[in-house]
Amino acid sequence: MKRLDATDQIGYYFRKEKRMLLVVTVTGILYNVGMVAGPWFEGRMVQCLCDILGGNRQAMEMVTLVVCYVLVILFVQFMRCLKRLYVRKFANHISKSMKMTLYRNLLYRRREELEDAGAMMTKLISDADACVEGMRKFTTEVFDTGVVMVAYVGMLLFYDWRLTLLSMLFPPIAYFLAKKLKVVVTKNVALSRESSARLNAATLERITNALTYRIYGQESCRNAAYEENLTDYERKAVLANIWENAMQPIYQVISMLGAIVIIWFGGKNVFGTGWCAWNIATFTTFFSCYQKLALKSSKAAKLFNAVQKARVSWKRIRPYLAAAKEGPLPGALPLPDLSVRNVAFAYPGQETLFEGVTFQAGPGEIIGITGKIACGKSTLGKLMIGALPYQGEISLGNIIFSNHGERYEACVGYLGHQPELFDGTIEENICLGKPGDIGPVLCTVCIEQEVSALPEGIHTNIGSGGVRLSGGQQERIALARTLYHRKPLMVLDDPFSAVDMETEVRIFENLRRLTRDCVVLLISHRLSLFPQMDQVLWMENGRVSVGSHEGLMRENVHYRVLYEAQRKEDAPDEN
Amino acid sequence: MKTEASVARIIGRTIRNRRVLSALLILTIVFSIGFTILPPLVLEKIVDTLTAGEQILLSVAVGYFGITAVSGLLDAAKESLITAFGQEVTHQIRSAMSEKLKLLPASYFIEREPGVTASRFVNDVNTVDNLFTSGIISMAADLCKLVSILVIIFTKSTGLGLLLLLATPMLFGMTRQFQKKMLKAQMENRVAVGRTNQQIPETLNNMRTIRVLQQEPYMLERYGDTIEQSYRAQERSNFYDAVYSPIVVSISSLLIGIVMAASAQSGAVQLFFGMSAGTAAAMIAYVGNFFGPLESIGMEIQNVQSAVAGVRRINEFLKEKEQKKGTDQRMDDTAAVRVSDMSFRYHDRDQEIFHSFCLTVRNGESILLAGRTGAGKSTLIKLIAGLYQPQQGEVRVFGRKPDTIPENEKRRWFGYVEQQFRLVSGTVADQVSLFDSQVTDTQIRQALDLVGLKETVEKLPDGIHTLCTENLFSQGQFQLLSIARAVVLNPRILLLDEITANLDSQTEKMVLSALRAASRNRTVISVSHRLYDGAHDQHARVLNINVCKKRLRSD
Repeated sequence: MKRLDATDQIGYYFRKEKRMLLVVTVTGILYNVGMVAGPWFEGRMVQCLCDILGGNRQAMEMVTLVVCYVLVILFVQFMRCLKRLYVRKFANHISKSMKMTLYRNLLYRRREELEDAGAMMTKLISDADACVEGMRKFTTEVFDTGVVMVAYVGMLLFYDWRLTLLSMLFPPIAYFLAKKLKVVVTKNVALSRESSARLNAATLERITNALTYRIYGQESCRNAAYEENLTDYERKAVLANIWENAMQPIYQVISMLGAIVIIWFGGKNVFGTGWCAWNIATFTTFFSCYQKLALKSSKAAKLFNAVQKARVSWKRIRPYLAAAKEGPLPGALPLPDLSVRNVAFAYPGQETLFEGVTFQAGPGEIIGITGKIACGKSTLGKLMIGALPYQGEISLGNIIFSNHGERYEACVGYLGHQPELFDGTIEENICLGKPGDIGPVLCTVCIEQEVSALPEGIHTNIGSGGVRLSGGQQERIALARTLYHRKPLMVLDDPFSAVDMETEVRIFENLRRLTRDCVVLLISHRLSLFPQMDQVLWMENGRVSVGSHEGLMRENVHYRVLYEAQRKEDAPDEN
Repeated sequence: MKTEASVARIIGRTIRNRRVLSALLILTIVFSIGFTILPPLVLEKIVDTLTAGEQILLSVAVGYFGITAVSGLLDAAKESLITAFGQEVTHQIRSAMSEKLKLLPASYFIEREPGVTASRFVNDVNTVDNLFTSGIISMAADLCKLVSILVIIFTKSTGLGLLLLLATPMLFGMTRQFQKKMLKAQMENRVAVGRTNQQIPETLNNMRTIRVLQQEPYMLERYGDTIEQSYRAQERSNFYDAVYSPIVVSISSLLIGIVMAASAQSGAVQLFFGMSAGTAAAMIAYVGNFFGPLESIGMEIQNVQSAVAGVRRINEFLKEKEQKKGTDQRMDDTAAVRVSDMSFRYHDRDQEIFHSFCLTVRNGESILLAGRTGAGKSTLIKLIAGLYQPQQGEVRVFGRKPDTIPENEKRRWFGYVEQQFRLVSGTVADQVSLFDSQVTDTQIRQALDLVGLKETVEKLPDGIHTLCTENLFSQGQFQLLSIARAVVLNPRILLLDEITANLDSQTEKMVLSALRAASRNRTVISVSHRLYDGAHDQHARVLNINVCKKRLRSD
């Protein structure tokens, strides 16, 4: 637990990968110091060739030099290889642990915070990516830019400090100019991105509403508008690209101004009229070192940007990396004795939705809850899983459902309006990691035949949100899942809205058999099953009447009217 | 009819239409290659001058700088021109695709997720863009560069030339191998990342179920699995990425070493490899420059390959079966709708929904379609609106085939209230007018008044010109907006599809009265629904489709 607590410290991630960072450091320094070996040897070899051609040296000396050169380069490149590998491994590790932490926190976040965290999650993941990318670049460039630049500059200074200082005047100018130019570039790139986002949105909109536009004869008019988007995007994309491309050569040109200085003064050095005495080897080494340095210094800006970006991202994700605490679960499941006493509820800032809800129910009872649209029947169901704060008292067995603390929804099975299906197989969707035989629940919800008719039976993937199933099938799979994870109290909110009447009756019979040891609250706007309920709750204008179906039919006019109306409505369909 | 569009035709047309741009592009590429291979030659001259013990002229130093500068600028110009050309082509492709949208049958849009079709427009066309910016054009340029460098090396040192020529296929083979493996790993990673990303909205949508069933550990395990997959694929891709460049650098150093050792020898070897110190310096620079384009070509081949898949999908889209255009033979008919002997089945299903179906709706009549789910109530509405075409028989609306009615007249013929309100991106007024220039603001206000939304809209900050978002109205109010959209141009027939929105009792009343107001004085055909089972129109004729069909069969 202690280790988890620190997940919101950047140091935690570096510390966690200590060993890897050690490898990176050792190989990074060796490689980057070794980088100067290339130009140095190349200079030597040119000089050696020069001497051999002049008859001042033996060919064997060249062979020795070449062997040394190749061996050193091989070693240096091997170091480089290790360094690259470990830097990437390091980043990959961090990315994994950050994402896992973010997801875990999403799952265990307290309900009140969820709204906010949910909306941000996708952004957070990309922030995590940016953060990891920044950490990777930072670790890479500390060596590849930092160490290597020091090595190069040291070597140049050693050969001719005056010429070095003179030639080094130019890269900073280039850097300064590039920075100025960057404002324009960034602006244009941003404009092009905006236009691209607009174009994409327009594309999706045009296609999503294609039929609406067709029905109303607006297709040509919408295509013309789309064409405007296309033209705008083309113009902005090209412009942004021109600016982006213009950066590099200008930068390069200014850096290469130093080359004039080196060729001119370096030439003098070799000729013997300069500040230092040089040979050809020094000249070529110096020249190629300078070129590599100029190239490197252009990357220094990138390092700075990546770190900057990572810092911003880190700031955003940090609060979400702190380990979330979950409320304790109740120890044992309570007995199925539901007692609701004087419960009242109001949405924040609104008038009371209902009050004085009082009823009791024991094992095997099925309670029908109904009322007109927006009477609060679904809300009453949600109170049972602690989704909303209420007044009064709800208790199940020996557990009192308070609004805080324990996650008492663990004692409740709940099925809401949305089937809430996952992209997975039917079996996975029902079991959700709790192994067992799903056959019985499939039979209960009268879907077993449809499932076995599928090519892969219960192992058929139902697609994202269950898209490959019909609405009625989704509803029944969700019901099967709720029944599979049976709890002392089951709240089913409109579970039959998308199945036909006949199936509804059959499922209800099965349900009754399966739930002899539970209390079931069945919320519905369809009343055909209500004569079979053990109790009926009729909700109207904030008041709740409790009674048997017959009782309510006698005493409650509105209930009777609705029931009769629906029976009449159903009748023609039956024939 | 014009010839069938395809990506190749569009590219050809773009080249013909933008001759100057195309010529300029080729010219820049040629010059940019020329200038990238020049600097080492100047370097050779400089080193040789120094070896000979002579002073370097300032003009040579400046010349070196000049060549580098021009080369950089040409490179930039080349990139920009390639982008401009690529953008022009993708613009034309997208235009052609949007024209195609008009010709596709309604079933195309119903069967496919809009996101999938949109990805043809966005992702696949982007791969075509890549085909230019980092595909064929740059590949041609890189190939030329490679050949030029080889030629120069050959003229300077035959031995090195031969060595490079031998090493090239081997190196190229290795490069491709690495790139292919990396691509595979990257694809796997992308699939895994896609799956992980998808799990987030899924988790949020299903949070209640997860919480209630305490399946957090299971979800974490699921997420962990996909993260692990992505991790492993990334790890593999990292390996190839980390190893490739060091190998190339090592090989090029080895080549340089061999050449240097060989040219230091005497006799025949020296003759074969021999070069001056200046040439040696130039050769080192060339060998360093040689592997850059080689690696790029590998990448470009990959881009071309992925573009090929994109191009194929775009071509498939452009070739997609189009909806049959009915011929316009008007008949004088006083009946608002006449369905005669009509048979219809969905193209992907064997069973006919309608078989020799007949129906006549008189002008001004109100018809309520009843029947079981799947009986074809909604389908019949769509057939009348001309969204579907029957396989046999015909549907006529005031004597005309619905799909032959010109676009700009449609709204005077039909108002169609869809199952769900379709939000278009625009203002409240746009929701009603659908950007139709025929619709005036006054007409919009009248329509809003008719459905009882006038006051609500007037209270908005910019009235009817307020930007309309999903949160601006309730579901019921959107349904009202949908009715306003249908009746704004006073159509002769009102088609009401099943309303699937969940409405609260208050708005339900409003929708009912809006429907009642909208139905006045026109022919109405509606699908039965518990919301407005005849409630909005007591005089409606109820037509049970099942019964209707049965009767036809028994006849």
